Amino acid sequence: MPEERVLGRNYPRVDAADKVSGRSQYAGDVYLPGMLICKVLKSARSHARILRIDTSQAERLPGVRAVITGRDIPDVRFGSGAVRDRRVFALEKVRYVGEPLAAVAAVDEITAQEALDLIQIEYADLPAITDPIDALKPDAPLVHEDLPRYEGYAAGMGGNVCTVLDSGRGEVDRAFAQAEHVFEDTFRSQGINQGYLEPMACVASTDPSGRINVWTSTQGPYQVRGALAAVLQLPMSRFRIIPMELGGGFGAKLRLCLEPYPVLLALKTGKPVKFVATREEVFTLSGFRLPTTIYLKTGVMQDGTIIAREAISIFDMGAYLGAGVQSGVSHTIGPYNIPNYRVRSYAVYTNKIWAGSYRASGVADVTFAVESHTDIIARKLGMDPWEFRMRNALKEGDTAIQGGRVPRNGLQQTLEAVKERMQWPRTSEPGHGVGLALCQWRSGSGPSSASLTINEDGTVILLTGSVDITGTDTVLAQIAAAALGVDMHQVVIAKRDTDVAPFTGPSGGSRITYSQGKAVELAAEDTKRKLIALAAERLEAPAEALACGGGRVYAKEAPERGFSLGQLARMSLTSKAGPIQGTASLSAMPYAPVFNTQAAEVTVDRETGAVKIVRFVQAQDVGVAINPMAVEGQIEGGAVQGIGRALSEEVVIRDGRILNPSLTTYLMPLAPDMPAIENVLVEVPTEEGPFGARAVAEPPGFGPPAAIANAIADAVGVRLKELPLSPEKILCALRGEPLEEITLDLELLRALRGAGGSIQWAGSG
Amino acid sequence: MNRFEYLEAGTLPEAIALLGQHEETRIVAGATDVLVRWRQGLWKPQYVLNIKRIPGLEHVSYTPDTGLSLGSLVSIRTLELHPLIREHYPALTQAATAFAGVQIRNLATVGGNVCNASPAGDTLPALLAYGAECRLVGPAGERLVPLEFFLLGPGRTALQPAELLAELRLPPQPPDTGALYIKHSARSAMDISAVGVAAVVSLAGKDGVCGEVKIALGAVAPTVIRARSAEALLRGQRLDAERLQQAAQAAMENSSPIDDIRGTAQHRRAIVASLAKRTVSYAMQMAQGTSFPFRTQRALAVEASFEEGKGA
Amino acid sequence: MKHGMHLTINGEPYELLVEPYCSLLDLLRDELHLTGTKRGCDEGDCGACTVLIQGKTATSCMMLALDAKDKEVVTVEGLARGDKLHPVQDAFVQYGGVQCGYCTPGLIMSAVGLLRENPAPTEEDVRYGIGGNLCRCTGYAKVIQAILKAAEAMRTA
Repeated sequence: MPEERVLGRNYPRVDAADKVSGRSQYAGDVYLPGMLICKVLKSARSHARILRIDTSQAERLPGVRAVITGRDIPDVRFGSGAVRDRRVFALEKVRYVGEPLAAVAAVDEITAQEALDLIQIEYADLPAITDPIDALKPDAPLVHEDLPRYEGYAAGMGGNVCTVLDSGRGEVDRAFAQAEHVFEDTFRSQGINQGYLEPMACVASTDPSGRINVWTSTQGPYQVRGALAAVLQLPMSRFRIIPMELGGGFGAKLRLCLEPYPVLLALKTGKPVKFVATREEVFTLSGFRLPTTIYLKTGVMQDGTIIAREAISIFDMGAYLGAGVQSGVSHTIGPYNIPNYRVRSYAVYTNKIWAGSYRASGVADVTFAVESHTDIIARKLGMDPWEFRMRNALKEGDTAIQGGRVPRNGLQQTLEAVKERMQWPRTSEPGHGVGLALCQWRSGSGPSSASLTINEDGTVILLTGSVDITGTDTVLAQIAAAALGVDMHQVVIAKRDTDVAPFTGPSGGSRITYSQGKAVELAAEDTKRKLIALAAERLEAPAEALACGGGRVYAKEAPERGFSLGQLARMSLTSKAGPIQGTASLSAMPYAPVFNTQAAEVTVDRETGAVKIVRFVQAQDVGVAINPMAVEGQIEGGAVQGIGRALSEEVVIRDGRILNPSLTTYLMPLAPDMPAIENVLVEVPTEEGPFGARAVAEPPGFGPPAAIANAIADAVGVRLKELPLSPEKILCALRGEPLEEITLDLELLRALRGAGGSIQWAGSG
Repeated sequence: MNRFEYLEAGTLPEAIALLGQHEETRIVAGATDVLVRWRQGLWKPQYVLNIKRIPGLEHVSYTPDTGLSLGSLVSIRTLELHPLIREHYPALTQAATAFAGVQIRNLATVGGNVCNASPAGDTLPALLAYGAECRLVGPAGERLVPLEFFLLGPGRTALQPAELLAELRLPPQPPDTGALYIKHSARSAMDISAVGVAAVVSLAGKDGVCGEVKIALGAVAPTVIRARSAEALLRGQRLDAERLQQAAQAAMENSSPIDDIRGTAQHRRAIVASLAKRTVSYAMQMAQGTSFPFRTQRALAVEASFEEGKGA
Repeated sequence: MKHGMHLTINGEPYELLVEPYCSLLDLLRDELHLTGTKRGCDEGDCGACTVLIQGKTATSCMMLALDAKDKEVVTVEGLARGDKLHPVQDAFVQYGGVQCGYCTPGLIMSAVGLLRENPAPTEEDVRYGIGGNLCRCTGYAKVIQAILKAAEAMRTA
């Protein structure tokens, strides 16, 4: 079959040659004549009324072309989700250290910085609230006093509660009463920065015709366009968003980022304006994951069957709605079949930068809790942790947490593969240990559309509005080539922007291969139908008698009778139907779970607490690996992000101030410390995905913290419930010094009225 | 971020003269700090003086009688690769291999690391343990200052106005000497150390008795310091597990670490004890003739390999 | 006050007037629009700005541009010979060592510098050799494989 020539092949990324040559253009690489440099003034206080902003001295500085504040723009709120709680500039008060107050455009960076230093702000401090658990108390200072008046406010929120979500099934209290054992644990995850190498960057420039061109580092150009239009109260058609090559985003660049500042200054000055964030501003101007506290209670029978679960998750949301709270209801059951559960998730406002998105926000936090808790239970029951997982794991036909049936999947194969590779179970030498984690995610859905045109020489242009963050341009080209029956090198991906390509959702939530890829597959089918129709007409044969493959449309019974795609394209110019173009659109794809199993083998130095990962093995059900090399690259990279979360990364915030907004002190994994990552790609095709593919990119980051915590417990007998698993924590635990117990007022948390907030199962995060 | 001016010196006398003529001048050698701290708003020099082009400050020379002479502009990368240093002063090589990354080692100079006087400077414990001396040049001429009197506090040295560090001199080490530097940090590259310990051990005769021992502790006091009471417990003694444990305890008591982003004081004290034991133990093995290839020394220095039961 | 300087970049001579506080990275990108070298942190922590100076790797964000006076600088744009990629570049393409690409130029320059000094590195040598380069996408696995394959190709060429 023609698709076999293209599917499953390790084509190098179509953009790789440009990237290794330094030719690829990222937003910061755009230089336009007369371009000005933008810098943003950030709040120095975590919670304060703004009494006065005086920009007059800054405006007079030679080389400064414009200064703007919240007074210069329409008073419009926007938001990351349902609640519109945020503004482009803080207006009557600031709610976190770093909140934008003003922006300047100047002839160079040093002048822009000098101008910022000349802007005078008078604050009146307000009491700040920085602990989300304190923020839930009735007398806590309010981050948003006007919350009930915000657009998108849902009944039941209030105080500092941004969102409450509830989910349940069965009869939980009765099940706990019946359970032969009940276990309770509380876990805490730390603040995590997405750590993309390319700081946020944007260049904005106006045309004489009034159109606003925005070259930006974004995962969601259509989302940026819509948000700019809403926030600046200008028609969407004024904006052309050009997504540049993206140097990493991992969720931070899913929505409107810092584009408003250069756009506003370009409108005011009539000149192109560039804004490039510093690395410090990657921490202080853009939200990242904040700490989470997760309480789990589980009822099991003696034979290891889990019959009840209760969970309460507290997500520190920072000063504005960000992401992650959903995972407190979607993932606290884990990939297990639990018939009775009651789970609740809080997003709580505090005076910190908002909790931004990061590679399935919140799921890594929840997975650390669930998979550590799973091991604790297994060990206390005297059961093998692998057997315990296998016994309780979801199977095809079980009820999925969002309702509906769990379709066919490779969960069990991933467990088996890791068991074999790690030679589980085994007795380890002292100081050595192995730990497991089982994880789940879903293949992303959302609006997607694509189109294909055949050039007169038979080459194919694929127009997809998706931003390539994970190698999807290459995979989408493979899908198009496979579906049309042409060689990979015949497919060209069009350079695109929001004027040119049809709407698609942002690149995130593991949706591009599965959903956008499906749109591409369907567009190819549409193209094929039109090619066959034209060939049928010319050959005077019925369409069913023709096939499309090898770059031709031909009669099945007499393959020499046919036309090349190029010939058909030329013929189409004078045909009744006109030039051939294939399109497809969809807005939702069926539930297609993604499961992976990960195992870490570690050594722990009992004197220094240093942890070394000796082996790391993972098996993931990828559906069908359209490009195995690209798939491996994704799961290797995701696993290492998870290892960073497990061992060394932490954003430290005291009194709302980030103590380590720098790569000197925010420590991401480097090559000398990483183990070789061993991958097993399990392939159980999806019903509906393009050629059976599943989502790939997010799950590998979920498991490492629990796998490593479980391995540490196996190695030296200490159980850490707080991330990161630092040498200091390990040594304290080895000395038997009581670690700080994480306590929650469960009565208070159970009693707070739920909002009945709706849970979105599809969509990004 | 002020608009500073640039000066360049072609000779040492010219550098001294320029320093004398201009107020608030920062010396730039490798330039691994000046721009970074300027962007952070921490340093606001009126002038930067580039001394990197002064000839004669990049030499590495050694004789068994006079020991090692290092020009202040010798790069950290040279410390890592130079065969004379690997052979005769391996703790300096190990410190260099634990220092940042290769790109920064190519730029950074040993003189810069000394004059920055960070409590956590990676070359400092090894230099101190080897007994390094600083040759300073200034308007009043030359003077020699032992390293332990040159470093006065975090970011403070004994440099007088218009003085520069020209050379580091390390005395010859006795025969049968071994040395190891271990750095405790979260990652094997790029980090500022949370704790750094260097031990230099020389045998007294051939019967496994410790003759001279120097233990230097980094990142656990305002400057790098010697763990003198630990040394006193080991000098002239045969090393056994109990004695090593006592010395480790003493080293811990010699240190005065603070809480900061890289660790609490309590944690750092525990690490001092462990690293003191390990560095002394490995140094002793090397002094007794065990040779560890560079790869092993590197792995020990960045804590990438330590096998329980061996060494400590 | 600007100072005049001469330097060579990728074999081409340049005569320039440069501010004291201009870093070599600023010079390459903002003045000369050689945008292949990337700015990741401006603090020397990520290695994205790595170039070769007199054949040795250096983080260009930390260097004063004026310190590169009369020196030879090679950036990622200077590696290919016309259309023919340098073996390190080619290996990164073939073996999946490139994802978002932002760390890639700096990583490639580090690899080129490493292989110049050590043409037959072990995997461990490569891991330590690129210890000054941060990558968030690949987890380093295929990067290391690419560098080892490039070393092999360069040895047999």
